[in-house]
Amino acid sequence: MNDDFKKKVNEKYEEKLQKGERFWPDSIYKDLLVSFALFILLIGLATFIGIHPEPKVDPTDASYVPRPEWYFLFLFEFLKYFPGEIEWVGAAVIPGILVLALILLPLYDKNPFRHYSKRKFAIGLMTFIVIGMIGLTINAVITTPPQVETEIAGSLTEQIVLGQDLYSIQCVECHGPDGEGGEIAGVEGLEGVIVKSISSTDEMYTRNDGSLFDIIAYGQPNLGMPPFGGAYGGELTPSEIEYMVAFMRYSWDDRAEIPADAVAASAIPTLAEGEVPSYEVHISAVSKRYCMSCHREGKENNEYLMGSYEEILKSGNNVPNLVAGDLNSILLQTIQQNEVIGVDDETIGVMPPKKELKPEFVDMFIRWVEAGMPESASEAAALSVEVAPEVEGEVAPEAGVEETPAP
Amino acid sequence: MFKKIYAWLDERVGFDGLYKNLLDRPEPHGNWWNTLGSASLFLFIMQGATGIFLTVYYTPSPDHAYDSIQYIMNGVAFGWLIRGIHHWGASLMVLIVFIHMLRTFFSASYKYPRELTWIVGSLLFLLTLGMGFTGYLLPFNQRAYWATVVATEIGGVVPGIGDFILKALRGGTDVSALTLSRFFSAHIWMLPAALAGLIGVHLYLIMRHGESAYPDQDD
Amino acid sequence: MAGSSRISRRDFVKVVTIALSSVMGAALGIPVIGYLIDPALKVQSSEAWIPLGPLENFPLGSPKSFSFTRSSVNGWEKTVNSYGGFILRKTETDLLALSSRCTHLSCSVNWDEGNNNYACPCHAAHFGSEGEVLDGPPPAPLDRYETKIEEGNLFIFFQKG
Ligand code: HEM
Ligand code: FES
Repeated sequence: MNDDFKKKVNEKYEEKLQKGERFWPDSIYKDLLVSFALFILLIGLATFIGIHPEPKVDPTDASYVPRPEWYFLFLFEFLKYFPGEIEWVGAAVIPGILVLALILLPLYDKNPFRHYSKRKFAIGLMTFIVIGMIGLTINAVITTPPQVETEIAGSLTEQIVLGQDLYSIQCVECHGPDGEGGEIAGVEGLEGVIVKSISSTDEMYTRNDGSLFDIIAYGQPNLGMPPFGGAYGGELTPSEIEYMVAFMRYSWDDRAEIPADAVAASAIPTLAEGEVPSYEVHISAVSKRYCMSCHREGKENNEYLMGSYEEILKSGNNVPNLVAGDLNSILLQTIQQNEVIGVDDETIGVMPPKKELKPEFVDMFIRWVEAGMPESASEAAALSVEVAPEVEGEVAPEAGVEETPAP
Repeated sequence: MFKKIYAWLDERVGFDGLYKNLLDRPEPHGNWWNTLGSASLFLFIMQGATGIFLTVYYTPSPDHAYDSIQYIMNGVAFGWLIRGIHHWGASLMVLIVFIHMLRTFFSASYKYPRELTWIVGSLLFLLTLGMGFTGYLLPFNQRAYWATVVATEIGGVVPGIGDFILKALRGGTDVSALTLSRFFSAHIWMLPAALAGLIGVHLYLIMRHGESAYPDQDD
Repeated sequence: MAGSSRISRRDFVKVVTIALSSVMGAALGIPVIGYLIDPALKVQSSEAWIPLGPLENFPLGSPKSFSFTRSSVNGWEKTVNSYGGFILRKTETDLLALSSRCTHLSCSVNWDEGNNNYACPCHAAHFGSEGEVLDGPPPAPLDRYETKIEEGNLFIFFQKG
């Protein structure tokens, strides 16, 4: 590059400046508008799209599909073309060369021309690279398998509520709905085993959250408790176990005060007089809390599952379990402490086997069957009537409109 | 009163000179593409501000990082906004800086006398990517953890020194508390300091040479 | 403001610059204030009856110390705090429960059997057996807990916040 050339460039530039504008106010004005637009865009993204919640780290979860930030996806995808032995070429050599080429561009690009028509090669090459990057990124996006979504609790209240649901399903069959323990009934391999209370002050004051976590994750194999943590062959993630621990701690430890909204959120909705319960709001809540621990896939339960409306009505060996309007339906009998003879002449024991359902829940089932077992809340609402208390009393003598105690 | 204070300050600071040199600069006719550099700067400042606020609650340890972020999102007033801006600002900054780079490439702005502006700029681009890479681990969730495991693994495939690179990045053989601390340190101290310094150089060079003119047919 | 003259365009840009910058400053600045002072605005009140065990554990006539813990949530962490105090059982059922927290700057006071008073180790204050200030800087007598007796067990009412 000789001095003549430099002089020409500088003179040309001076000329352009003469015909040009001023940084203030001309450029700044545009800069400001663009920055302001970006600011609005950011606020909008933060408010309306937010940040996708992710579960806590679980190094044992090999099923997780690792994904880099979107602007590294092209590199990630690029590596697929360099398998095994030559991986380092794609990982280090080529990106290294490209980065150096980018940094040093002005030093080796000796083309003195600046107009697009005279830089066809440079512009072509850069266009090719950019299109390649975009192509690789798109390819990476469409080929990554979808991630399995798990429920994530944000606040403490959400943790406690999710923890209670998990506890109800995983633990109730042995430890009881309030951790009270007792004799196990109806659990394969553990029939008759006596379980001590896990909700006592002794337990709560002497086990910290870490030990509770470990006990759930690893189980107590010598005592018969299976492992629940994914790391030891169970099905729960670390986050899920933490939610259970939060539920146990805040429900049973009298030193920790449970947030009031957690009590409200995990309470099973009560019925007003004349209100018809629905599966959606009431029955599913009771069955999740007290029944599903056994009545789900993989448990000894005569194939009777209670995970959905369909299942509650139509699964198992003793269909029909429930008939609309029929107070002798099998399910209603068993929860009222009457044994029934099933289809295959086998006795169906009382349910739940260990601890009687609270009368208000039994009443809830009875009222539900009487009303024709509505599934959704709106159907139930349509059936509900504002009745005077006496009539209510005749229909369901046990109608207990007491408040559901906090679990 | 105000006049007096202004006069006192002006005598020492020299507002006039500042105005002449910083604001009243002549420029060739530009267009909207010229706004991307200052947009990058704007995003850098936004990232700096929101990032500083995030450290008020964020705790860089494997035991607390995740919970502290959950707390920012759900427990602190406007935590979702601060983190949301920082989260989306990171992506946006990479995008804007990249497009800014492409525009200076296509308009051949990197040629004499602005070679060094480009060189410094390309370092800024790499540092911006480094910010994205180190920031990604900080929430210490599944996504963060596994992406970092894989990305640092990539460093490990280089023949001969791969193992060294991997351990240097991770601070040991595993992605651990040490990885989190060093990524945190890089993310909030080393890389921003380097970025801020180089942005200063970048801006100085721009003021020295002026904004380039878009090339004519005869350039 | 059609940019008719150079000056008015400058003024226009100045106004827009100031306006937009203020909007951005406020849109970020006001939430940030809330964000920073948020913990100071949280209500962390709690109250409960704390069991202290059988009444006969507390001798008649001279103060006996007790302690208990409560946990509270600070941010994402449970903080377990210990509290202590003294029960003075004046008669069979007439009880006085005092907090051991000095009302000056929160050091823990101790019962001094010999001098028949509570002594604070920090700034050499003394409180009488009823919690009243005898000497030293404390501005108020020791705090009292409400008490109740149920089935032979003593409870005190804990209140915070
Ligand atoms: C943190 C990232 C960056 C910031 C904050 C930044 C900031 C700026 C600003 C404010 C300008 C003047 C306005 C404009 O021309 O748009 C500018 C110009 C320039 N930037 Fe950057 N920049 C960054 C990254 C880069 C990168 C990655 C490159 C290229 C590798 C680059 C190359 C240039 C060049 C060559 C100019 C001169 C343009 C001209 O005179 O027309 N910058 N930069
Ligand atoms: S703290 Fe007790 S006297 Fe100062």
